[in-house]
Amino acid sequence: MSQQLTKKNELDLPIRHKETKRQRTNVYFKKKVGWLFVIISIIAITIFNFYPMVQAFLLSFQSGMGGNLEYVGLANWKRLFGDPTFIAALTNTSIFLLIQVPLMIVLALFLSVLLNDPTLKFKSFFRIAIFLPCVTSLVAYSVIFKYLFGVDGIINQFLVKFGFATQAINFLADPFWAKVVIIVAITWRWTGYNMIFYLSALQNVDKSIYEAARIDGANAIQQFFQITVPMLKPIILFTSITSTIGTLQIFDEVVNITNGGPGNATISISQYIYNLSFKYTPDFGYASTVSYVIVILVVILSIIQFRVAGERK
Amino acid sequence: MKKLFLMLLLLVGMVALAACSSGDEASSGGSESSSEGSKSVDKITAWAWDPAFNIAALEKAKEAYSGDSKVEVEIIENAQDDIIQKLNTGLSSGTTKGMPNIVLIEDYRAQSFLQAYPDAFHPLTDVIKSDDFAEYKIATTSYEGEQYGLPFDSGVAGLYVRTDYLEEAGYTVEDVTNITWDEYIEVGKKVKEATGKNMLTLDPNDLAQVRMMIQTNGSWYVEEDGSTPNLANNEALAKGFETYKKMMDADIAKIVSDWSQFVGAFNSGDVASVPTGNWITPSVKQATDQSGKWAVVPMPRLDMEGAVNASNLGGSSWYVLNVDGKEEAADFLLNTFGSNPDLYQTLVKDIGAIGTFSAAAEGDAFAVEDEFFGGQQIISDFSQWTDEIPGVNYGLHTYAIEDILVTGMQDYLNGAELSKVLENSQAQAEAQLK
Repeated sequence: MSQQLTKKNELDLPIRHKETKRQRTNVYFKKKVGWLFVIISIIAITIFNFYPMVQAFLLSFQSGMGGNLEYVGLANWKRLFGDPTFIAALTNTSIFLLIQVPLMIVLALFLSVLLNDPTLKFKSFFRIAIFLPCVTSLVAYSVIFKYLFGVDGIINQFLVKFGFATQAINFLADPFWAKVVIIVAITWRWTGYNMIFYLSALQNVDKSIYEAARIDGANAIQQFFQITVPMLKPIILFTSITSTIGTLQIFDEVVNITNGGPGNATISISQYIYNLSFKYTPDFGYASTVSYVIVILVVILSIIQFRVAGERK
Repeated sequence: MKKLFLMLLLLVGMVALAACSSGDEASSGGSESSSEGSKSVDKITAWAWDPAFNIAALEKAKEAYSGDSKVEVEIIENAQDDIIQKLNTGLSSGTTKGMPNIVLIEDYRAQSFLQAYPDAFHPLTDVIKSDDFAEYKIATTSYEGEQYGLPFDSGVAGLYVRTDYLEEAGYTVEDVTNITWDEYIEVGKKVKEATGKNMLTLDPNDLAQVRMMIQTNGSWYVEEDGSTPNLANNEALAKGFETYKKMMDADIAKIVSDWSQFVGAFNSGDVASVPTGNWITPSVKQATDQSGKWAVVPMPRLDMEGAVNASNLGGSSWYVLNVDGKEEAADFLLNTFGSNPDLYQTLVKDIGAIGTFSAAAEGDAFAVEDEFFGGQQIISDFSQWTDEIPGVNYGLHTYAIEDILVTGMQDYLNGAELSKVLENSQAQAEAQLK
């Protein structure tokens, strides 16, 4: 037996060696062609992503009006920490982030489980209805929300008519309510978007797991927390990171619904960047310092989320 | 290996790009110097906003133009914010490609453009006579002794009042003519009592009211130099804040949060007066059913020494960019908005635009009686008030400081002490505006 084996091995070896050589040239060629394919996108990404990023980083050490920029070292970064408007913008953005992202993710998860129920009727109607908001234009829906929540808007008319409020609430001129309106608006717009990810992930969860759980006597709530949530963990991580990045960059809603007001109560970091660049006497250096704050925040928050929810390798 | 290769590629790419960009700068510098020499063009472009007002005025100017060089004028309509963005990005990148020859800039922003991009604008000192224009416009349109802008839209403010509401409350138009803001508030209380209507609208995000108030006293957010914040020790500003709070406390103001609510409030008859710039006239006249029920009186003044019953809100001027075709552009402006009184007659008659060209104010069109305003000669009244507007240097930071003050105003309305509020605002403005 052993002799046979060795013989066979001896016979096999040269052939195998020949094959690998051919394979190797093949792989080498494939690699080259592969590079040819990616090289275009690498160049494009370098020109349109990395180069501006480096330039913006250099710009964050410069200051001055419009085109008259000069290097000021770390002065912009020092200015940042003593700038009440920036701190207001950072606080508002953090509030949106801390309240809206968890709210939306839970809501999306909840809705996706409901809509995944095989016994539910008009399923596709509900799915479309909830997904539809995120194909509408950012500006268009913002403007509509602004009118909904206006003093003479339909929400106020409803509240007064049915006795929930004695007189119309000026949502957009009140620091607290203005924030609430923004949060409601972005939740309305993005919940359906996240829900679609969960729905498609849920389709891949094996039904037999639930069956087994039911046989073991697990109720719906236990099933949700013990099976659904752990199974969707990677998707939850993905959606929470994309939502975090999206919320940190929030601009359209704030500008169109409240324009940052009343009195900086809803101003976002992105809007402050816009103001520094185009509303005030332009200081592109300081504006890019502020935009690098978003970059740093995104990096830190993404790392934390990976650590908390990500699989360890 | 792969990583190394990728890094190398990135590095090479960046170096190549950096080289490219510096090459660009050199070449754009070259083109700039070549534009110093007059290179004639046969087409010039002009950017402006508002089709009913500035664009229409340009169209009229184009029709009236009869200069030496017959150039074609292309008028491009942009939103004001877009113009600011395009100018800022274009001028700061150092390229003049795609820039217009003539551009309309709001007076509040003019100084920041002139100082941020010193060589970008073509001086008009030798082209137009600054004496021909309203005096208060010169400070904002000139920089370091050179006249850069051709003063256009006056922005003269007035108090639009509903005569029928006043009557119900027992007042006549004379009772609100040449009054102080404090007297105005008293009238407002009576009007609310009698009619249930608010006296005016206020937008907590927009301090235009305060801006107009302090200009009645020749004061502004910044000192004469145009850049030092003047908030903590600014008596007029303190008075303006107090007056604003008094209006809130007297409950005579309807709170609005944007332009359409602002226009909606007077079009639907919800407010008895609108203190604002003359450019609101077309919007007021939109409500044709209110014809004959309106009048315009001079702006109330702050109750303090030196304040006058005349102020300004907004207003804009024409600028020529330092690019090929600047001579043609300057010639176009000189022959139209710079020297043609007949053109201004047309503008008043057809558009209702009040310019600041002094020689134009005597024409027939200015004396026309407006039925909507009960036969009042509003154009002639407005241009009379134009002469009394105290000239102030709006400087560089109107909108930056106003954003700070809006927050301060919120604190003040919520009970903070005024002197503290203004001191805080001053400290913040000083830290922010270097």
